[in-house]
Order: sequence, then C-alpha cells, then structure tokens
Amino acid sequence: MKNGFRIFLAALVALGFSWCAFVLAPVLQLGAEKQTTVLNSSDLYPVQRGDFAAQGLQVYRANGCAACHTAQVQQDGVGCDVVLTGMGTNQPADFKAFMKSLCELPDLQNCSDSLSKNLAAWNGALPKILLHGAREADAGKLADKLSAAGLKSEVRIVATGPDIARDWGLRHSVAEDFLWDDPVQLGSVRIGPDLANVGARFPDARWQLLHLYAPQVVVKGSTMPPFRYLFKMEKTRGEPAPDALKLPRELAPPSGYEVVPTDQARELAAYLLSLRAEVPLHDAPFTPPAPAPARPNKP
Amino acid sequence: MSDESDHIPPEPPGRPPGPRSPAPMGFFILTLVLLFLAAVYFDHHSGWFNAQVYHPFVNANELEKYQPKSGEAALLARGMATYERVCGVCHGNDGAGKPGQAPPLAGSEWVLENGVNRLTHIPLTGLSGAVDVKGQTWNLSMPAMGAALSDADLAAVLTYIRGSWGNKAGPVTPAQVKAARAAVAGQPPINGLQALKALPE
Amino acid sequence: MNEIEKLDSEIDASCRVSLLALFVGAAFWLVVASVLGLIASLNFHMPEAFANCPWLTYGRVQPAADDALLYGFCIPAGLGVALWLLARSGRTPVRGALVPFVAAHLWHLGVLVGLIGILAGYSTGFRWLEFPRGASSPLFYAYLLLALWAMMTFGARRERATSPPQWFLVAALFWFPWIYSTANLLLVAWPVRGVTQAVVAWWFGDNLLFVWLALVGVGAAFYFLPKFCERPPQTFYLALFAFWTLVLFGSLCGIPQGAPVPAWLPVASSVAAALLLVPLLAVVIVAWRAVRGSVLSKWDHGPFCFVGAGVVCFFLSGLMWMALACPEICRVTEFTWFVPAQAQLQLYGFFALTMFGAIYHILPRSAGFELPFPKLARAQFWISLSGVALLVAPLAIGGVAQGRQLQNPGISFAVISNSTLPFLRVSTTGQLLLLLGNLIFVLNVFGLASAWKRSVLKKALALVKAPLETAEVQA
Repeated sequence: MKNGFRIFLAALVALGFSWCAFVLAPVLQLGAEKQTTVLNSSDLYPVQRGDFAAQGLQVYRANGCAACHTAQVQQDGVGCDVVLTGMGTNQPADFKAFMKSLCELPDLQNCSDSLSKNLAAWNGALPKILLHGAREADAGKLADKLSAAGLKSEVRIVATGPDIARDWGLRHSVAEDFLWDDPVQLGSVRIGPDLANVGARFPDARWQLLHLYAPQVVVKGSTMPPFRYLFKMEKTRGEPAPDALKLPRELAPPSGYEVVPTDQARELAAYLLSLRAEVPLHDAPFTPPAPAPARPNKP
Repeated sequence: MSDESDHIPPEPPGRPPGPRSPAPMGFFILTLVLLFLAAVYFDHHSGWFNAQVYHPFVNANELEKYQPKSGEAALLARGMATYERVCGVCHGNDGAGKPGQAPPLAGSEWVLENGVNRLTHIPLTGLSGAVDVKGQTWNLSMPAMGAALSDADLAAVLTYIRGSWGNKAGPVTPAQVKAARAAVAGQPPINGLQALKALPE
Repeated sequence: MNEIEKLDSEIDASCRVSLLALFVGAAFWLVVASVLGLIASLNFHMPEAFANCPWLTYGRVQPAADDALLYGFCIPAGLGVALWLLARSGRTPVRGALVPFVAAHLWHLGVLVGLIGILAGYSTGFRWLEFPRGASSPLFYAYLLLALWAMMTFGARRERATSPPQWFLVAALFWFPWIYSTANLLLVAWPVRGVTQAVVAWWFGDNLLFVWLALVGVGAAFYFLPKFCERPPQTFYLALFAFWTLVLFGSLCGIPQGAPVPAWLPVASSVAAALLLVPLLAVVIVAWRAVRGSVLSKWDHGPFCFVGAGVVCFFLSGLMWMALACPEICRVTEFTWFVPAQAQLQLYGFFALTMFGAIYHILPRSAGFELPFPKLARAQFWISLSGVALLVAPLAIGGVAQGRQLQNPGISFAVISNSTLPFLRVSTTGQLLLLLGNLIFVLNVFGLASAWKRSVLKKALALVKAPLETAEVQA
C-alpha cells in the first residue's frame, strides 16, 4: 500500500493547502466580521434587514434570481474629481484666461488635455467638474493653484469604471455589504443588470412589483421573463386594494378584478429595496455625492 | 466496434511499467519561471492579506491616500501637509523642536494659551531675541514664515499644531488669522520675551 | 481463452451489476439534463412561456439542468469508470459487488430528490451546490461507499506498481468527500457569515468542476489512449508531473477576479490559474505521445475519437478557465455568457465526451453483450461533437461581444441583452444536437442493459422450468 499512501498524501497536501487558503483563512479573516462605521460618520453599516425583507432573500434564492443577476459592483480604478464650487473674487473673463494659463503649466501637464477639454464647452455654471478621475497628486496641485488664485474648489474621491458609469453603484462591493445575507447571492452572469444597489436606483416598491409582473411595461426592451406566479387575480371588493397593480390596458384583468401581489412578491420587493450599497466605507472610499443619502425604505 | 476486444492486447499480469521517459526538465524550468512571475505579481497586487484592501487598490498606503477628508479631518490633513512643508524643517515633524534651530511646539505654553493672538502673530511677523519655552531660554530668530500662506492654510497649520503631539487646545479659524494679518500689517518681527508678553493673549 | 483473458473477464463480470446501475442511471439523467437545459433556453425564445409556472422558471430549471448533468451524469459515470479502471489496472476483481450496486441506486435517488427540490424552490442558492439538504446526505454516503469499494479494490491489487491513471483516479476518490462535506457543513448545516459563504462556494465549484472532473477524465484518457493505440504508456514522469501540478494549482483557481473579497483572494486565484498552463501543456503532451502516429489509423474507432476529442476540449476549457482568471481578459469576459460557455465545455466537451468513449468501451465487456446500435454510436460522436461546438462557441463569442458592450456605459443594458439573443438562439441548436446524441447514448446503454436483463431472466426461467433432480423430489 506504499504507493496508495503516497497518492493519499499528495491529495492531502494539495487539497489541504487549498482548504487552508480558501476556506480556513477566509473564515478566520471574514467570518467574524462585524458592522463597520460609515466613513466620516458614526452610523453603523450595514443595517440589519427587517424580517419581511429578510424573507424576501429566501424568495430570491428559491426562484434562482442569481442565475441572471449579479449583486457585485466592479470598480476599475479610483480617482479625484476637482470641482469648482465658487468664483471668489474672480470674474469669469479673467478666469478663462487663468485656466488657459493653468493648462500650460508644467506641473499640470498630465491633466492639461482633459482640463482644456472639460473647459471647452463650459457656460460658466457652477459647480463645474474641472477634472474627472484624476490622480490624487494632480488633483491636489490643481486645487492648490485654484485656491492660491482665490477660487473655491473641492476635491472629491470617486470610483471609476463602466459599472459605476452605468450608475449600478457608487463604489465596488465589499464583504460588509453581504454581512446579513444568508445565503449570499452574488450571481455569476449578467443576463440581467446588477442589483447591488437596486434599492437606491428604484426606491419605489410599486415600481418593483409592476416590474416583476410585467418587466417590459416599465423597462423598454427588457428580456426578463415575467413572474406572474408571484401575483394573484382577485375580485375587487369595493375600493381597489392599495397595492393592486396599475396595468396598461392590454395586460389589465377583466373589469371587477384586480391583480394583487402575494406575500412572496411583497417580500421580494422589500428585499430588493433593501439592496442599497451607497455609503462610503474605509475599504471602499469615495466622497458621497449629497449630504447623507436619505433612507426612505427603512423597514 | 464488435471485434475490438480481439485486437486490443490485454495487459499481462505483473507487466513491467512502460518505458519511463526522463524527468521533464523543461517543465520544471517553466514552472519555476512561472512561479517567480506569480510571486512578483502577488507581491504587487495582493495587499498582503490585508482585509481592507480590495481591487482596484493594491496596498494599504494606496487606500489611505484616497480616503476622502471632510470637516476636521480634512483641516488637520491640510495643516499637517503645510506644517511638514513649511515648519517641520526647524521645529521637527514631531513638534519636539531642534536645539540651535527652533524651540519645541509640543507642550509649549505659548502654543497652548487659551487665546490664539500671540501664536498667530509669530508666523505672520516673525520672532527674534530671547524667549522662554518650557523653562528653557531660546535666543534665535524666526522669519515671517506664515506671511506667504493663505489664511485658511495658516489656520490649518495652527490648528494642527494646537491639536497634535499631545497638545489639546482648540482650533484657529481663518477669520482669526485674517484679523491678525490686518492688525500686524507692516510691523517688524516681535523682539524678545517682553514684546511677546506685551501682546494681548 | 488464456489465463489473462480469463482474469479480465472475471474482473469485468465482478463489477457488472454496479456498472450497469451507475451507467443506466447516468444515461437517464443525461437526457433529463438536456431536456431541462432546453426548457431553460426556451426562456430566451419566449420569455412569457413560464410566467405562471414557478417550477419551470429559468432560475430553477437552469441550475437543475446543470446539476442533473454534473451530479446525475458526470459523477456516477466517473465513479463507474474509476471502479472498472482500478479493478482492471490492479488486476483484481471487485469483491462484494452488491454494495456499490446499492450505493449507485442511493446516489440516483439523491439526485432525484435534489432535482425535485430545486424545481420546487428548495435550492440552497449556491452555484453547483443547489441540491437541498435532503439530497446531500444520500449523495455523500453513496459516494463514500462507492469510493470505499474502489479503494478496497485498489488496495487489494495484484499488480503492485502504480501507473499515473491510478494516481489521478485514487486522488479523485479522496477529493469529493472532502470538498462536498466542507461545502455542505459550512454553507448549509452551519452557514458561515457573510461573503465567506461565497468564497467557500467558489472553492467547492472549482474543486469539483475543474479538479475532480479533470482528475477522473484525464486519468481515464491516460489509461485509454495508449490502450486504444495498442502500445504501452509512453510517459511516466510527465504524467505524474501533470498530476501534481494539476492538484496543486488547479485547486486554488476558484475565486473570480471581481469578487467582493479582499484583493489577496482573487489575486491568489489569478496566479494559480496562470500556473495552470503547466498541467494543461503536460496533459496535452502526454496524450499526444500516446496517440502519435496512430491518429489516422484509429480515426474510425468510436471510443478513441470520443476520448481524443475530450482531451482537446479539456485543453480548450482549461485555457478559457485561465482567461477568466486573467485580470486583463476577465474585465471583458467576467459576468458574461463566457462563464457558462466554459462550464459547458468542461462538462459536455471534456468530461461527457471522455465518458462516452470510456463507457462504450467498458460496458460491452462488462455486461458481456455487444452494443445494440454500434453504427448509431459512431454517428453520435459527430452529433455530440458538433453539438458541443454549437453550444459553446456562440456562448463564448456572444460573451465576448456582450462584455465589450458592457464596457461601454453609453450602450443601454436592454440593448446589450437583446444583442446577445441571436447567440443564445444558435446555442439552442447545439443543445438540440446534444439531446439527439444523448438519446443515442441512452438507446445503446438501455438496449445493452435490457439485453443483459433478458438473458438473466431467460436463465432464471430455464432454471425454474428445469426438471428437478430425483433426490430433491424425494427430500
């Protein structure tokens, strides 16, 4: 059995190494993760879902939504936006000349092209993004130059990449985003769009329900199959039910009837609304666009 | 495929293992080269097992560089950068001062005063002659290092000095710097301890 | 019949019932997988088809089709081939063949429960591990029994020196219980927290779909290719080198590049995938040395074609797997149809084709009957091969096209998903061809099994009808 033992040892070494690296180490490193604080704030993230939305994750799992949808935003890079917020004492006319001189400064040659491109079609409206996704050093130099000239500017950290440009999220997804998920539904193919931040993009539960019932009505050209089995047709009793779907004529039920979501559909919609990965974290830093985003869908 | 069992010779029992080719040296070398490249790539991109480093960041320094600063943090960061550029050469980046160059700022009674008027004056006009700092007399001369800084930058530097290395005094606002700048316009450097003490706190 | 042939047929007979149970069930699930896959792809032709039917919605049928193929066909077929190969190359018959026979039925029962579970909405939600809890224990114990019997056969071998195919197969026997129990314990029984679940699921998927399949399929190819070409194995150390590098680097490849986990995990996977080039080249060279000079003369030998095409597909799917882990390429291919294209090439192109060849070689010997439709089996090679090509190529090309469009935020998502539909529709014809090929396979396996059953029944009937001996009558 000497050879047999050697084969066993080979498998043990190889698989054991891989097990330590990709099972044991992640469990030790990420398995005990806790809530973290939002950058420059004392709020804890992520907020635990209510029971209803947590139940919606089970609907999501049971119907295999992850077969078509990912929930992980990709980020290609990080950069700085230099935003001009105020003109100070300068008049726009001097300012154009000043910016032109800035474009020619040797320190700023890395970004002078994009700077002049951004200024080309500017009509003077503020705030104005002078540089987008620039390197931190270049942005700092430009901001110094602007402040020395008495102009007010702001340097904002922004994530870059096609997913961000598509408005699927403000930053890459991180482990914290999935802290309360069981099972974690990351998905592997984008047959449909990414859902990591869908609750912030479509914060209206009625929109989500109508989209589940008839995707093509709300998204032109959508290829998503309708999920009619999550709804039921009922006789209207007196007033229409508050969450009865407002359907276009060709999909509307016969008169005297209405289409109402089942509990499963409501839970799923609540879960989708709870998918909001929009706060900056230490491991996914960016400058939030507006003062602390409101959370209208708190369970 | 009916007759295929006939023309496949069955293995004889106890067949000696087939001709053993020499060990594949080319493959060993290829593996070693790839392993080396892999190690280099891992070193550059992995963040060395840091749980906070995600793609597109490649190490913890990079991550710190792109932390957005706002409010106090931004002010302190700005103050620190300016301090290390302008003041740190003589006073030391740790604020401990350097013998023969500049007195300490950490724990200095002049820095920690409740009022900030004297402290603001010093970088705007400069200071010469003997002054006592932390029980020691320093007879040196400081040029008006802060005169060229903007109000906001000087305020940031002073706030940083008053809040770092164990110092725990309140911030200095750009408005206070502006007022002081207007008051000292055209004045010579403060000369000696008496002149410094004569200034309102 | 000389001594050697007598021993061979004794070995073949000893695993007959086990192999029939494994292969007949596997063939059945293969057709089920094709049908489920076709139902899933119907969604891209008429999205409203199953709007009112939760059981047939894409998110349930699609994983069910994949799992029917992986757990229903690939694993039992691989186990059967491993059992026979270990018995044959160790020159020892399988003892107590009833146990693997029962275990095979337990396995297929587990697959049935699992598939119904997924379709009814009890999926665990983890890719390649969708079978619910009720299915995973029968599968685990059935595998344990089958692996134990294969190991005992290996341990009792009369030919003590081991050959590379035995290394591959024995390692595979260890591999599955470890990864399957880890995944089930940490994901289903006592779920770990947060995104660690995804990491464990990726690790499991890579170790099952890439490493386990490669161990069994390549092991079988290393055994069969020299055998079909009637020569001893040409390479020993290179094959062992392929084994070592495959298990060392292959087992570290699973974490996708865009994963929301700290950078070291995807970077580690990425460098391991780059190192995969070594075992891939080694496997191809070993296979080439085995068949060199015999390719043209063996062109009309069915099992040879199947196994040879399987090795080529293994190389291609390995390259695709490497491409998915390469940071520069995966910016385009990640999250596109390229990902399922790689999985289908690995499952159908590499593993299923290799297993078809192996089973067409093994089953007639073991059951003692010729294939009922040898000409159809010959045609099946071309049907299945073109099915694989028509399934995988459009998905891969469509995936790259989709990825390039996704890189451009100016193109709306609806436009992108509509522009992938023509590719998906072409790939459906690939699925139809595969279904046809699989039906031929089932026809042959079922025909062979029923021929054997008829002969057993005939013998039994003859025994019943035989006049009793006078001594027994008196007693």
